[in-house]
Amino acid sequence: MKLRTMAMLGGQALRSLRKTPALTSVMVVMACMAAVSVFAVFAVNLTAIGRQLQSQVQIRVFIDQSVVPDGKESLGRSIRALSGVTRVSYVSKDEALGRLRLQMGESGFFLSDLERNPLPDSFDVSVARAEDARVVADGIWKLKGVSDVIYGQKWVDNLVGALRVLWGITGIVACLALVGASLIVSNTIRLSVFARRKEIEIMKLVGATDGFILFPFVIEGLIIGIAGSCAATGLVAAGYLGLVTWMESVASFIPIIRDPIHMRLAVLGTVAFGAVTGLAGSAISVRRYLRV
Amino acid sequence: MVKMYGVTRVYAGGAQALRGVDLSIDKGEFVFVVGPSGAGKSTLLAIIYRGAVPSRGQVWVAGRNIARLRWREVPLLRRRIGIVFQDFKLLPDRSVYDNVAFALEVIETSPRDIAKRVPLALDMVGLAHKAQAMPDELAGGEQQRVAIARAIVNDPFIVIADEPTGNLDPDTSMDIVNLLCDINMRGATVIMATHNQLVVDRLRRRVVQLDEGLVVRDELRGGYCGEA
Repeated sequence: MKLRTMAMLGGQALRSLRKTPALTSVMVVMACMAAVSVFAVFAVNLTAIGRQLQSQVQIRVFIDQSVVPDGKESLGRSIRALSGVTRVSYVSKDEALGRLRLQMGESGFFLSDLERNPLPDSFDVSVARAEDARVVADGIWKLKGVSDVIYGQKWVDNLVGALRVLWGITGIVACLALVGASLIVSNTIRLSVFARRKEIEIMKLVGATDGFILFPFVIEGLIIGIAGSCAATGLVAAGYLGLVTWMESVASFIPIIRDPIHMRLAVLGTVAFGAVTGLAGSAISVRRYLRV
Repeated sequence: MVKMYGVTRVYAGGAQALRGVDLSIDKGEFVFVVGPSGAGKSTLLAIIYRGAVPSRGQVWVAGRNIARLRWREVPLLRRRIGIVFQDFKLLPDRSVYDNVAFALEVIETSPRDIAKRVPLALDMVGLAHKAQAMPDELAGGEQQRVAIARAIVNDPFIVIADEPTGNLDPDTSMDIVNLLCDINMRGATVIMATHNQLVVDRLRRRVVQLDEGLVVRDELRGGYCGEA
């Protein structure tokens, strides 16, 4: 198709958009894309937070009181040799009591009245991935001289599960948005096809190619999809930037994603998703109602 | 130019519009297709421009079996055929000039060619002075002339006219048929379906009569009813 023809057909698509309830479609696409964006933003940020928390997962290994100092060193070496372990540090019972005092602050006054330190010697074990914590902990249990092993098993499992559910919901919302928005765009294109049915009939009779007839409707769907997703991106981005500013002032330790590369990728992704929605809507209408 | 061998067209409900039609039309002929409503006249014409596909049989147009034409080749066939309908099929929001130019725009003719060919076509149908008028400002006969100008602007080798005088008074009908005769004189084959006894009897051209999908008469220099 010649460039001049494409420009002419693009103009036709724009004129056609003014005659159909395209604004309604743009608003619906915007709402759908905004819903997908909000879920995606949530999921991406929670994943980032989860990664940070997972990197802080530690296993605490309590050493049996009966183990002699050489046995402790040997136990430490055995733990270090386990797969997935990145760091092992020995915490003596006195160090542990000191930490407890620090953690409890003023409410730890009773610790001074203790006749003897009841805390055992222990190892703090770091793992490469939070998912490995359970396997490493099981491995440590099997070693001689271990009286107890604790780690944030429940919350690690819960976090991994919650992230899976959140990404699942995001996927479902994205699918529903794609289907819903495509059908709305399709309906607008159908009205456009109906408004131009006489013109299309003449086009066919005088020898216009299918591509020539379809092009304006495809462009129309594309414009609706891109316009809706751009509006959604604007809304969500404004809200997100406001949230980032607020979070920085009240909870700066929470790692909200704010780097420009991620932001640009998110904008491009949403606009591309909108464009796909628009094209899908056009395809549905063109196939069902045009039959060229 | 047009050859049909055993062409049958069965519609979805099972009704047979054409039944084993054999027909041969030579280059430069002027053929009237007559018969009662439902005889299969429009289907016969539609099969020539691939508006309908035969259920059985072969249709050769300009040396190609168009019954087997691939869908993407259909536009190329239609660019070589001019089609005129009873209801004119003009775009009401475009001027006379733009309606004729539309046929060239959609096949991506250059603006320079369009500017050259549209006035010639309008001149041929005697409407050069009404190029900027809108269709609703024209009489029925004039609207049909615009439709004919649109059909011939691309220099087709066949002009198909399906009841072109159906909405017109006798005098205007004769003018339209005379115009089609002029187009025929310039070399185009003209195939016209009609109920208009006056024009068929007056022109005395080849008449193909259909009845219930069958060719019941094919007569050179015939009249509307056969015995005339």
